[in-house]
Amino acid sequence: MTNIWKKYSASPFFDEYFNSSKRFRPHTSQIGKYIGSLNSKELDDINNATESAIKSMGISFRVYSEEYIDGQDRSWPLDFIPRLIRKKEWNKVESGLKQRVKALNLFIEDCYNDQKFLSESDMEESLVTDSPAFKEYCLGMKLKHNSWSSICGSDLIKDRDGIFYVLEDNLRVPSGVGYMLENRSIMKRVFPDLFKHYGVMPVSSYPSKLYETLVSLSYSRSKQPEIVLLTPGIYNSAYFEHSYLAQQMGIDIVQGSDLVVLKDNFVYKKTIEGLVRVDVIYRRIDDDYLDPMKGNKNSVLGVAGLIDCWRKKNVSIINAPGCGIADDKAVYSFVPEMIRYFLKEEPLISNLKTYLMTDNKSRDLISKQFKDFVIKPVAESGGYGIVIGKNASPKEKKQTLQSIKNDPRNYIAQPLALLSTSPTFDKGSIEPRHLDLRPFVLSGEKSYVTVGGLTRVALQKGSTVVNSSQGGGSKDTWIVDK
Amino acid sequence: MLSRDAEHLYWLSRYVERVENIARLINVNAELMLDFPGDKTLGWKSLIDTLDTLEIYERKYVTFKEANVINFLSSEMKNPNSIKNCLIKASYNVKETRDYLPPASTEQINNLLNEFNLSQSKLLRNNAKDLYKLIEGSQRFFGIINDNFSNGFVYEFIRLGRYIERVDMVSRTLDTLTVSKKESQTHDFATLEWASLLRNLSAYAAYRDEAKGEIVRANVIKFLFKNKGFPRSINTCLREIDRGVAALPNNKLLKQEVYKLIERVSYSRIENYDDDQLHHFLDSFQKKVNHFDQRIHKSWFQLHG
Repeated sequence: MTNIWKKYSASPFFDEYFNSSKRFRPHTSQIGKYIGSLNSKELDDINNATESAIKSMGISFRVYSEEYIDGQDRSWPLDFIPRLIRKKEWNKVESGLKQRVKALNLFIEDCYNDQKFLSESDMEESLVTDSPAFKEYCLGMKLKHNSWSSICGSDLIKDRDGIFYVLEDNLRVPSGVGYMLENRSIMKRVFPDLFKHYGVMPVSSYPSKLYETLVSLSYSRSKQPEIVLLTPGIYNSAYFEHSYLAQQMGIDIVQGSDLVVLKDNFVYKKTIEGLVRVDVIYRRIDDDYLDPMKGNKNSVLGVAGLIDCWRKKNVSIINAPGCGIADDKAVYSFVPEMIRYFLKEEPLISNLKTYLMTDNKSRDLISKQFKDFVIKPVAESGGYGIVIGKNASPKEKKQTLQSIKNDPRNYIAQPLALLSTSPTFDKGSIEPRHLDLRPFVLSGEKSYVTVGGLTRVALQKGSTVVNSSQGGGSKDTWIVDK
Repeated sequence: MLSRDAEHLYWLSRYVERVENIARLINVNAELMLDFPGDKTLGWKSLIDTLDTLEIYERKYVTFKEANVINFLSSEMKNPNSIKNCLIKASYNVKETRDYLPPASTEQINNLLNEFNLSQSKLLRNNAKDLYKLIEGSQRFFGIINDNFSNGFVYEFIRLGRYIERVDMVSRTLDTLTVSKKESQTHDFATLEWASLLRNLSAYAAYRDEAKGEIVRANVIKFLFKNKGFPRSINTCLREIDRGVAALPNNKLLKQEVYKLIERVSYSRIENYDDDQLHHFLDSFQKKVNHFDQRIHKSWFQLHG
């Protein structure tokens, strides 16, 4: 083993490059040795080349903080050491994700129609019907190919056993896929030789698969339906991705004010050639802002009358409004049961064990063994509001238990997962850092899973917070046939 | 193309061109005033008249001292057409349309605003260097655009914005020169003024080349209105506008209107008008240009009610 790796130790975590006896895994040895052959000057050079490629390609994301109320564009953080997954392992994950999202979509359609699952399973009906994501205007809606969450981003982690688990499903407006694609473009610029010799599976078909999915969900008979991407605007943190995807698919990127609903209950976009009817809206704004007549009355991001057009099937909204009922963290715990119920299959990827705080026994368990658990508010995303038991002060612990007691429906607890690590460049040396993975699943006439996904990495030593808004970085994800 | 994007491109272009025009106005006036005998405030007041901002100006200042006027035209936030406000609006429109534009052109706008903010503390008072920077910066923007497009909707809306702004500014400048300044004119000074007007429009050499004679009122007016090659003559600008309109959809009414404008300029005997007649002509011409701008908005940006 060469120098740069001598000090590297990921113990006690599962490491993506090294096995427990500190040897490279079969699929990482080639790249591991290559990186080991570089001295620290060369590593610095690669790191600088990566950063300058990102700057010149203008890949950024927007952060809002107390300091920058209007937001600030930051360069996208990419660590140049790729995360590797064997193709054989990935194939299983891919099937598991397709299975999972299919069941979730059937569950959502069931909730808005017959509610069979709600009445036949152990799930409390109120988990769905009291959820803010539950939209009454969706009742009775049946969608083409049962596709409610046509683009789903599920977060996967590897625990100490080295097996992938689903941490959560993002069914509403998941973001990150643009960065996954850009990460690969950057890596190709920086490491052209590695790609030649490694047999990394390409990721670039995503935009055309997404386009096919959107076409397959159109109600219009045209083979080239009119598709637009609806963005909240240039100040949104993911605007870079919106504009990137729209460009890749060759569709217009519109804001609410560019669209209008006419008396015929169709949606039109305002162009210099006049009004043009829109068949499919790939929306990147939240449910409540879609239509001021149905959600937030003051919303200027949406289009008045949009929901009625959707209900009449004059326009497809992707993802469908109301699909958020299934990405609640409490509903999450029932996904394995949904798979058995709707598909008569056993889940191919596991959930993390999840305790609902509405259950008295579980609540007792959590207060007794607080430090072994992570407490999550069910309705938050982006890593906000999470309390990690072992890091909490006595005061925080008391406050958290009190909040749970006050509103048990709003919390779940999971045993603290020990996220896997992968070698990551940090100021001249290479160190283990925790990571997760967000693949994207498309559901239309056909289903499709991205080849790998966006690997997010916690750049701070020991941290498990991977969100880019909170100091997380990213890696290119390589699916390799070795 | 979405109407909103087209409108942003059009206004982006107008504001960038406006920055250049205002910088030129200040620069030339400052030079001219060095030769002007006696009270210079009238000369500075005429800039405020040209830009139609007397009302806002008088809310803040009583006299038309050079420093006041320059400050008002360059960095006054309450003046919607101060250079600073134009740059801010240009950079806002750039943000909204950056997907259409070559990255170098959007960087150019952002740099202009940043540099302006940095130099602002020194103020633009007689600082010809800073003014030239603005003029060059604006020209560089259009240069990058011209280097990256030769046709297409993006190019056409930028072209339309630029030339409408130019027509507007050239006719305003001419109007001010003939109307506001006539009270205090001697013959020599009139010649100086006509020469400075030509310099303002970078037309001095072209005029000398074309008209061959001395700098006299009739020839200057004829040159600025009717010349067919010079890029800042009203005639050339209108022909650029005509080409832009022809390349865009839904253009029937606009085609007719631009044709009428060209006819009006070509067939009038404007060079022989006296000051009053010229003022009336310019006044009605300005109104037609404004009307044309509204027609652009109705045809492409607001055609959906």
